[in-house]
Amino acid sequence: MSTHPPEAQASGARTAAGRPIGEIIFAAGILSLGILGFVAGADIRTPPSATGIGPREFPFIVSGLLVVLGAAIIVQLLRGHRGAPEEGEDVDLNVKTDWLTVAKLVGFVALHILLIVPAGWPVAAAVLFFGASWTLGALSWWKNAVIAIVMALVLQFVFAGLLGVSLPAGFLLEGVEIFNG
Amino acid sequence: MDNFMALMEGFSVAMQPMYLLFALGGVLVGTAVGVLPGIGPAMAIALLMPITYSLDPTAAIIVFAGIYYGGMYGGSTTSILLNTPGESASVVTALEGNKMAKAGRGAAALATAALGSFVAGTIATVLLTFLAPMLAEFAVQIGPVEYVALMVVAFLTVGALLGASVLRGLASLCIGLFLAFVGVDALTAQQRYTFGSPFLADGIDVVLVAVALFAMGEALYIASRMRHGSVAVIPVSGNWRKWMKREDWRRSWKPWLRGTFIGFPIGTIPAGGADVATFVSYATERKLAKGENKAQFGKGAIEGVAGPESANNAAAAGVLVPLLTLGIPTTATAAIMLVAFQRYQIQPGPLLFEVEGALVWALIASLYVGNLMLLVLNLPLVGLWVKILQIPRPYLYAGILVFAALGAFSINFTPVDVWILLIIGLLGFFMRRYGYPIAPMVVGLILGPIFEDQLRRSMAISQGDPTALITSPIAAVIYATLALIFVLSFWMKKRQKAMEASLDSTSMSAGGGDQTRA
Repeated sequence: MSTHPPEAQASGARTAAGRPIGEIIFAAGILSLGILGFVAGADIRTPPSATGIGPREFPFIVSGLLVVLGAAIIVQLLRGHRGAPEEGEDVDLNVKTDWLTVAKLVGFVALHILLIVPAGWPVAAAVLFFGASWTLGALSWWKNAVIAIVMALVLQFVFAGLLGVSLPAGFLLEGVEIFNG
Repeated sequence: MDNFMALMEGFSVAMQPMYLLFALGGVLVGTAVGVLPGIGPAMAIALLMPITYSLDPTAAIIVFAGIYYGGMYGGSTTSILLNTPGESASVVTALEGNKMAKAGRGAAALATAALGSFVAGTIATVLLTFLAPMLAEFAVQIGPVEYVALMVVAFLTVGALLGASVLRGLASLCIGLFLAFVGVDALTAQQRYTFGSPFLADGIDVVLVAVALFAMGEALYIASRMRHGSVAVIPVSGNWRKWMKREDWRRSWKPWLRGTFIGFPIGTIPAGGADVATFVSYATERKLAKGENKAQFGKGAIEGVAGPESANNAAAAGVLVPLLTLGIPTTATAAIMLVAFQRYQIQPGPLLFEVEGALVWALIASLYVGNLMLLVLNLPLVGLWVKILQIPRPYLYAGILVFAALGAFSINFTPVDVWILLIIGLLGFFMRRYGYPIAPMVVGLILGPIFEDQLRRSMAISQGDPTALITSPIAAVIYATLALIFVLSFWMKKRQKAMEASLDSTSMSAGGGDQTRA
């Protein structure tokens, strides 16, 4: 192995990436979705007139499958068979998952959603773009801000102004006709 | 002859200046997203769906078809010119193409990929033109029992074969089926899994799920493990007319044709999509190569780009056959195309050629036109795409997030949809992180309601006798084919893995120096 260090590094990271705890929780989530399917499925009323398969049978079958599959994946995980994370051109499987980045992005999307109605779509979009590109490591913050604002205004102009998509322009741009459909 | 006339009529629609413009727009976007790492045609169509709602159906379908074909062309540019270690094993074109580029033969690799894609795309579209109406004619005669059989095939092949893990693929499929239940049951009007919420009573919007999984989920996942540092693109220069030397032509034309006839049939059967086709083509070319050319495999053999690239494009056309004639998607992109059709109240399936004849033939005609446009876009204009390849990643993924949020918001103009986008996006992130394929979930969500409907119909006809599902001769044949596909696919996957392992070790030890530098 010492003659091919990159290979050893790559294959090692591919099998040992992340802790199995997260994967087990996710598989347990699949299992509990199946259980939820049974519990909530009991509430589905079957009209007395229905013959053959009613509205309840198929959900029960899928719920049963979810329970079985979730359990089987947990067993596999406990035996040491992990899932292979998806590959991609911009994905580096040799680095650990950066949870902080994910949390920041989720935070900015949440902020975006909260801003759409009170501040208007262009403001919310600019905030999301600025926040996301900053999170992802864009170097110069002022360039970042300029791109964010220009992009938000262009999108608002094209979609609300030209195509008539009803994006709320917000109090800042309310009077400007080209940004309102 | 009827079909020929219909095709000519299709051309008369597709050649209208306005539709030509839409086709051009589609192939431009398609090539761009194919070139950009991290965005695939599935994501591009998902992102564009909410905001193209104001277009007329023909224009929208032509745009989506352009994106679909364009994405296949653009992908090769990236895998040849972008120096990304690690991914090479899964995309065989990247393996030989990238090696060729490093050896200064990138131009020839790009040219053979583009020309091969054109040859394969055109021949495969001709095959599609003849095969699809024939299959549709046959499909009109089949009943709900056979339909159930076909959908079982689609579910199991997509669920079990598209990902690396059978259990995870099936789990993904079942999550999709489960989400499809939410809302009001079509046959009895009973509420299912709505928990008394008026939002859930309408059901979960497929477009929203598609945008969430393919755009939001993908962006979050890439962000979590982003390849940092500058983007290393191998430069290509010179006059594009001189990219292919006589020798390159001589070595390429047979692989192009072989790739086409390998890719198209594999694309039409639900056996794991274009990946399988490229692999089979690559293995074939390696086997058929002789002497000096054989020694080049693994170090940049032009046959290893020409064959798989053609197979890839031919398979993409093949995928349209079951999609258009049976309404059954066999890849993620096909699933999104199906959603796009449904949004315009067009139901792909046996009746499509009868009900929406004009539109289908315009679509097929636009595929011919799009192919020609793509050849022009990809040979002389390749420099433009190289520039796109260098867009700084922070801006690229921030932009994807903004577009995803825009798409989600413009479905119903309520922030609630954007929250659902975020939640399902996170689900998509965890699925990618833990190795669950995304496509089965989307296929389950789309085909689930149709499947349940047909299943309950056939049970009503047979008065609750489940054996009726397998005693119909056509259905029995379909299930037997399913078993065959499974045996073949697992055998093929095993061989593919073995080959990838051997290629991995040779290429990694040969290119070890580059890897540490990159």
